[in-house]
Amino acid sequence: MPAIVTSGLTKQYGRAVPVHRPGGPHTTVVRALDDLTIEVNEGEIFGFLGPNGAGKSTTIRLLLGFLHPTAGGASVLGLDSVRDSVAIRALVGYLPGGIAFWDGLTGERLLDELADLSGRPPVRRAELVDRLELSPATLRRTVRDYSRGMRQKLGVVQALQHDPELAILDEPTEGLDPLMQFAFYSILEDLRRAGRTIFFSSHILSEVERVCDRVAIVREGRLVALEDIPSLLARRKRNVEMRLDGPPPDLSGVPGVSDVRIADGWLRCRLEGDVAPFLAAIAGITIHDLTIEPARLEEAFLEFYATDLIEAGHDGSGAGAATAPPEARTT
Amino acid sequence: MNPALFAHTWRANRTRVLIVALALTVWGTILPIIYDSFGSAFEDIFESGAFPPQFTEFGGGDIFSLTGSVAIGFIHPIAVGLNLVFAVGFATAAIAGERQRGTLEVLLSRPISRRVMYATLAVAGALFVGIAVLGSILGSLIGASLTGRTAELGVGQLPLLWLNGALLYWSIGAIALLASASFDRLSQALGLTLAFVIVSYFLDVLGSLWPDATGLQPYSVFHYLAPKAILSGSSDATDLIVLGTVTAVAVIATLVLFPRRDIAAPS
Repeated sequence: MPAIVTSGLTKQYGRAVPVHRPGGPHTTVVRALDDLTIEVNEGEIFGFLGPNGAGKSTTIRLLLGFLHPTAGGASVLGLDSVRDSVAIRALVGYLPGGIAFWDGLTGERLLDELADLSGRPPVRRAELVDRLELSPATLRRTVRDYSRGMRQKLGVVQALQHDPELAILDEPTEGLDPLMQFAFYSILEDLRRAGRTIFFSSHILSEVERVCDRVAIVREGRLVALEDIPSLLARRKRNVEMRLDGPPPDLSGVPGVSDVRIADGWLRCRLEGDVAPFLAAIAGITIHDLTIEPARLEEAFLEFYATDLIEAGHDGSGAGAATAPPEARTT
Repeated sequence: MNPALFAHTWRANRTRVLIVALALTVWGTILPIIYDSFGSAFEDIFESGAFPPQFTEFGGGDIFSLTGSVAIGFIHPIAVGLNLVFAVGFATAAIAGERQRGTLEVLLSRPISRRVMYATLAVAGALFVGIAVLGSILGSLIGASLTGRTAELGVGQLPLLWLNGALLYWSIGAIALLASASFDRLSQALGLTLAFVIVSYFLDVLGSLWPDATGLQPYSVFHYLAPKAILSGSSDATDLIVLGTVTAVAVIATLVLFPRRDIAAPS
């Protein structure tokens, strides 16, 4: 059974009533999420990528029943996100983005109260506070005195302390220092090994690439890609740079090679897919230096957002609901 | 009702409840003492014509008796302000305030339905208001005892007086919780509720001081707070019924609206 299924999930804010302004009537409708269809498998770490305002948090809030869908639906652990939202929240651990707490409580008291409200014993708390280096002395201080990073650690602990079947984490490493980020990644690995499912939204591409099995990329509320990380990276173009001694090789017609530029003894090109044809084409050439830069998720992401970047460069307007997104690719 | 949420709410508010109840007890104690010490002097001043005779109608009339003094204590802005700490302050912050701070997100991610959450907060608020009103009653009793006038007070009527006072602030609290559940910002919920309370209070006071404005009093919830009538043994069940109806309508409206609305991300 998939842990999360969304089918045509759509969320629209505002009313479709014309508002008369200079320049003609406008409607006040904002489509925060448009026809999202994804499946998250049990036991996987699923990355949900997109810049601010792409619809990531809206999706999470729909899954947890904070928002009601305008169209479509979602199920979480086989339960309907609207009808069974209380039952869903009994099985889920949630870390909101930019989490806030009752600041007058000590860290320990806060975790106790949140565990009481969850109705499940905090079986993982001791391990989590240890791995995230929240000392007993820290937990005895009031949350008001915590730094941003300490609050985030507390947020991670409260989301996972009751060992939920599914963890929904919104920007979980925000505010964590690199050491704590690594500690957090290893916690996620352990949860995956224990068969737990993790749905995690982020705009930090390197961490998604590092920990996720699959990734969905959303843009202006619409799904633009849903693939496993290796497949996504396999289709990315690598940057190739060679310093030559002698005539350059003929790379025309070599599968996967594009953007060939030769200048000052350097050959630069882009390489996609299988590297064997490229290696065969340069065999016998004298090469002083060769760099093939590995494909990064950043480039995949930027490719999906290239239109936005160009638009932003031209008119600075950024994203808008009127821009037609590229067709979604799913696997 | 959710016991864990109730316990959390109680722990977060218990000191405030104690302080307000204590303040209302002190306030309730002072009024019989003032009456005992200066009542006849005040009566002489009013009879001299220094003040318009309508002023004696404030708080249900008959201000020159112990029951009249206690009644003034109930409708006086100081007592009203202290009671509103929970009826308005707690109630408006309970949902809209938590949402604005971002803590509603953490709360609603637990397996608690919105109706249960509302019911828990409503019961907690009702308890806080009940304790605060009890402080006033207790103060009146202490003041009457200290001045040796307990027999004049009508002790048997005090439970009904408590119910009348509690119902007034429950009705305001229910309206405040409705506003709190309907708006995303504390300032909106607080502003709307305070506007309702101020207009309501103004209509009642205006009607008691200006005969031409008495027709406006039934539109005020404060009109149905009748301490003088209760202590005199001439209370009207209509007062309790009206306040109970206002409370019930606000509770039902919230139970219908709150689960249906979208909870926006914290701002």
